[in-house]
Amino acid sequence: MNLWHRQLGLRVNRDGVIDRRDFVRGVSAAGLAAGALNWSELVSAKADELRSRGMACILLFMRGGPSQFETFSPKPGHANGGETKAIDTAVPGVQFADNLPHMAKIADDLAVIRSMTMKEGNHVRATYLMHTGYAPTASVKYPTLGALVAKEIGDRTSDLPSFVRIGDRAAEGGGGLLGVEYDAFSMANPQAPANTSLSTGANRYTRRLGLLNRLESSYAADGSDHEVAEHQKLYAKAAKMITSAKMEAFQLDREPDAMRDAYGRTDFGSGCLLARRLVEAGVTFVEVDVNGWDTHDDNFGRVSKLCGQVDQPAAQLITDLKQRGMLDKTLVIWMGEFGRTPRINPRGGRDHFPKAFNLAIAGGGVRGGQVIGSTDAGGDEVKDRPIGVQDLFQSFCKSLQIDPTVENQSGAGRPIKIVDGGKPVEELFA
Amino acid sequence: MVSSTRAWTFSQQLWHGAALVAAVALVWFAAGAVANAQKSPAADVARRVDASLAVELHAADSAEAQRETPIVDDETFLRRASLDLIGDIPTPEEVTAFVLDPSSNKREAVVDRLLADKRFGDNWGHYFRDVILYRRSDDRAQLAGPSIQRYLAEQFNQNTGWDKIARGFISAKGDVREEGATGIIMAQMGQPPEVAGEMSRIFLGVQIQCAQCHDHPTDRWKRTQFHELVAFFPRIAVQPVKGDGEKRSFAVVSRDREPRVAPKDGKYRGQLEHFMPDLKDPSAKGTEMKPIFFLTGKKLDLGTPDVQRRETLADWFTAKSNPWFARAFVNRMWAEMVGRGFYEPIDDLGPDRTATAPKTLEILSLAFANHDYDVKWLMRTIAMTNAYQHISLTRGTNTAAPFAATTPQPLRADQLYDSLRSALAVEDFDVARAERFKGKGGRLQQGARFEFNRTFGFDPSLPRDDVAASIPQALLLMNSPMLQRAISAKQASTLLGKLLTQNMDDREVIGELYLRCLAREPKPDEVHTCLAYVSAVKNRPEAFEDLLWALLNSTEFSQRK
Repeated sequence: MNLWHRQLGLRVNRDGVIDRRDFVRGVSAAGLAAGALNWSELVSAKADELRSRGMACILLFMRGGPSQFETFSPKPGHANGGETKAIDTAVPGVQFADNLPHMAKIADDLAVIRSMTMKEGNHVRATYLMHTGYAPTASVKYPTLGALVAKEIGDRTSDLPSFVRIGDRAAEGGGGLLGVEYDAFSMANPQAPANTSLSTGANRYTRRLGLLNRLESSYAADGSDHEVAEHQKLYAKAAKMITSAKMEAFQLDREPDAMRDAYGRTDFGSGCLLARRLVEAGVTFVEVDVNGWDTHDDNFGRVSKLCGQVDQPAAQLITDLKQRGMLDKTLVIWMGEFGRTPRINPRGGRDHFPKAFNLAIAGGGVRGGQVIGSTDAGGDEVKDRPIGVQDLFQSFCKSLQIDPTVENQSGAGRPIKIVDGGKPVEELFA
Repeated sequence: MVSSTRAWTFSQQLWHGAALVAAVALVWFAAGAVANAQKSPAADVARRVDASLAVELHAADSAEAQRETPIVDDETFLRRASLDLIGDIPTPEEVTAFVLDPSSNKREAVVDRLLADKRFGDNWGHYFRDVILYRRSDDRAQLAGPSIQRYLAEQFNQNTGWDKIARGFISAKGDVREEGATGIIMAQMGQPPEVAGEMSRIFLGVQIQCAQCHDHPTDRWKRTQFHELVAFFPRIAVQPVKGDGEKRSFAVVSRDREPRVAPKDGKYRGQLEHFMPDLKDPSAKGTEMKPIFFLTGKKLDLGTPDVQRRETLADWFTAKSNPWFARAFVNRMWAEMVGRGFYEPIDDLGPDRTATAPKTLEILSLAFANHDYDVKWLMRTIAMTNAYQHISLTRGTNTAAPFAATTPQPLRADQLYDSLRSALAVEDFDVARAERFKGKGGRLQQGARFEFNRTFGFDPSLPRDDVAASIPQALLLMNSPMLQRAISAKQASTLLGKLLTQNMDDREVIGELYLRCLAREPKPDEVHTCLAYVSAVKNRPEAFEDLLWALLNSTEFSQRK
């Protein structure tokens, strides 16, 4: 109850409408009159309404493990910092690596965490951990963040799926124990998704579906009514999606040229733009992946190039969301599966380093313009405010108004909490 | 009922006692395994299974239901058996010949024919590839998919005993692209705890890995016992192999010498023995574990070489004195064929779980062991039972007693893909380059079958109720250009193009399409609906494209009933 209370308070504050009576007014008058409902019952009575309040999340995932030294945690003047220079940002006293000039300009919208720490140094295991909040096991299939968010706050009435992933990749997980209905609607690239253009003209399509339904009725009557009903529900949902006007959200060419240029016409730039369009159209969670951060050799050249791909689109995404008044309700996360070693190896590369790395968050009620945590002079150890994966997931839940103690059942009937342990990073919201 | 379950109850009580080893052996031996191995024909065992089910489920007030549920008609039986055994639908010719065949043993005969079909191995190879790879903890394991499937297909077609197949997986070595038996180890990248857990889950149906972190209140296996099982695998390693050109691979190897590199990150990898982590101090080295098999207490010495560890464990897993080995396979196969397992989920058995009709499972398991784990014999036996030949009742409202009817199953990805190929008479669907799924680094993947597996695949160990259909599945069947091309009537080369030019009789074309797609004749009301549609559309090719589209998109097509 306290938890809901807090989240509700948050939401209301953020909306700038401090009126709990409005909220209460919507609840069954009879229940109120009888005094039968306590606060938590009121909250759960309104849970469906909360779902549709339009919180959303965009995860920009830097696959391979981006170097913290070359992004948000430069160490100029220390041997471990290498050749990377630091530049000033919009926030006095905060510097980013010179690879991120656009992000530096919007630093007052960003909360940077420089003290992430965990133990998984293997790509697959770390990617899994950073997506699910759990280390992989053979027995429990933990759902990925997008699936968790889609289940808790996705809009079930929407024509579009609640969870879309651009840059298809199974390693980042799916619905897991929540079932395939929470799997990502996956797109290999930010072009219109596969098999969504009608195979015939619209009239004939409707005609076909009608024939299908008529023919199904005989099979249904023959002892398969449940199966047919489920099948028809799915077909109706798919047909609704592809015939929905909201499919236009997938059409990037509807954007003005200037907007497309502002995001950049790369896969990642288009992915970010598509993410914004999808969230606008009611999608709850969009993940955009960009590969190549595993810089065991030529770290400086490669990270600089990768930042060149990512910096402008990511900054533009945050700016664009802000200009459209969507940023408060959209949590944007920039992260990879781990960081890279302070020591530069003989090939000019950096190796895997989960012990101390960084990430950046914007929107979704997170206060920008701050840096949380720090490492020691050489970036070898977290110096203060160590933040673990569970803390991070608790923070995501808090931002998105999701109760992290909700339990889902594993196949073997074991209850699995959305987040097991950890505490939200309160500074993010202060 | 009372007398028939006494042995079972007795054995369960003994399980709880200290004399674990003796108890298992006693009951299992007393019931006839090994001691007096007699081989009964499939049909005899099938009759005993049905009789036992009737007795066992009597208390659950289901014998009535059992008797009342009709046996399925010939057309449905043939489609069911074909999908179950060879993962494909029958041809129109097969359906007609089977239905018209007057002989009384034709169901048995067709089961034998299907078991001898090469597609039998392919089908179950696909199945067990999925059993293994859906639990992979590393995506790179997918490299091994084709070799796992190939290996299993061969073994199943040669009717290699399940014990020998299990031995192959437990003691496997070599390049994972060539040696399919390395699949389980590769799927877990050689991580000893994960490998041990999977071997136990797949071959014994005992989910001992749950005890990895702590003793489970409702399970007898202690955390120590899990780690003693892990101690059979500390010397396996999965190493990258530089192949020709770009062909990367991995190999499972034995590592019987101390690694030269000392542990640097506090993780004790590459040790020759397994150390159970200290829960209070994860960075400590932990406790050195001796390899001990939890079911029997048999042990090996520390220092035993890798090959010997794994060979010995394979002996102990597959010994006829170990009832769980036979039960796990019988339970899984029964569940796949009848639609419900004695134990559910199908890979979670063990003395602390409750089975439906345990005596019946025992009859089948004993007979399976007596037949030297003969897989085809088991499938034939199950197919001969009334329990298998009952009509199926909808999953949603099936309140009938267990096994009184079978349950409709969604087709697995490969079954669906092969059924579409058969229905449309195409060798392989033609996926235009531009339509192909682009994987990592934009590399093109393997084409249509891959596409189906990506879209329709599911973990076959999950209860089918948990397998929900998805929008991309519907979209693929509804809209994919590869299917649209194959159902087109405009080209002379397609099935429909040929049918429509050869046959001017709409009624006959409708009949042929039903036979091809659904392996049955259309019912009169269906013929009526179709004819009305064709005449309303006033464009014969278009109308029949729509009909073919509707049949392939029907619930009936994508299920095995």
